[in-house]
Amino acid sequence: MRRPPILLVFVAVVMLALGETAGALLSPLRPAVERYARARVAANAAAHGLTGSAEYDDEVRNRAIFTAEAGISFFHTHAEGLAPVILLAGTIVATVVAGRRARGILFGLLTVGALFPLGYVVYALAALETGRDAGVELAERYVLTPLGTSAILALLGLVVILGRAARASQPAR
Amino acid sequence: MTEPRWRLPPIPVLLVGVVLIACAELGGGAMAQFKLELARWARGTMLARPHVHGLVGVRDVDEQILDEALVKLDGGLRLFHLHAEGMGTIIIVTAMVAASLVDRSALRRTIVALITVGGAVYPLGYLLWSGLIPFHGIARGKRLAEWLVWIPFGSAAILAMWLLAAALAAQCIRSVAGRSRVAP
Repeated sequence: MRRPPILLVFVAVVMLALGETAGALLSPLRPAVERYARARVAANAAAHGLTGSAEYDDEVRNRAIFTAEAGISFFHTHAEGLAPVILLAGTIVATVVAGRRARGILFGLLTVGALFPLGYVVYALAALETGRDAGVELAERYVLTPLGTSAILALLGLVVILGRAARASQPAR
Repeated sequence: MTEPRWRLPPIPVLLVGVVLIACAELGGGAMAQFKLELARWARGTMLARPHVHGLVGVRDVDEQILDEALVKLDGGLRLFHLHAEGMGTIIIVTAMVAASLVDRSALRRTIVALITVGGAVYPLGYLLWSGLIPFHGIARGKRLAEWLVWIPFGSAAILAMWLLAAALAAQCIRSVAGRSRVAP
């Protein structure tokens, strides 16, 4: 099997490393993460719509913190899961796709798509800085959707090329 | 222009990765198959150690404590299943990237050793935690698993990944510098 360009491998490995490090944030470093999240919600009280009523504010604060922790958790799982998929897809592209231009486009889309999990870091941070709903929308619209689309386009392109190759390799009846 | 080829990591490393994935699959199956027996055993073990779990002899209170412990025990087994599947794959992928792209043999061997040992033992921490819950309670079991397994072996795996990322960054810089030297 041929290997994809070093830039694609590098991006995938960095995502794996970040994903593993984020795993540590979910367990031994969780109290520190929660403290940070509480401090950021307090610093952005207006964005979170805090009213000064303890009961209501607690609920809003807890929801924002839960969303931030969920963002880190999604980042952990997606970074660990997507990076090997990108490496595998890149390996298939390098091995099977004959056209240099098509290979270049697919490598480019896969490299950008490998950054998709970073959208969940934005999701976690934006939920704390701009309020839960606005933060989630911002991450989805500007980061998760474009990067995810890039990965999907690369995989669809690979499917089309593999389909053509499979048809071409069938003996004529 | 064709791309260069992947190099195979050492066979024992592949074996560790595949065995870990197989254990994860077995664990997933066993978890479903023996769910009742596991819960019965854990319950019996916890009831035999009321002081460890803070059981007071009041059914309403005790049932809640036992239920929480059983949920955590089940969660630990699930996390073992997930992490062993994931880390098995990551051991193979990381070792393959290191074997193919890290030139310095001492660094390559260090990365492969750290990811193989760290990645293979880390998921076992979840099994250990589940096994410790009935004997030591949720919090103490977690602390033991953290210090005995998750922190040392998780750190080893994280260190391996960052060493590999740094080695690849250096390689990227060298290849860009080499290309700009060749260009007129």
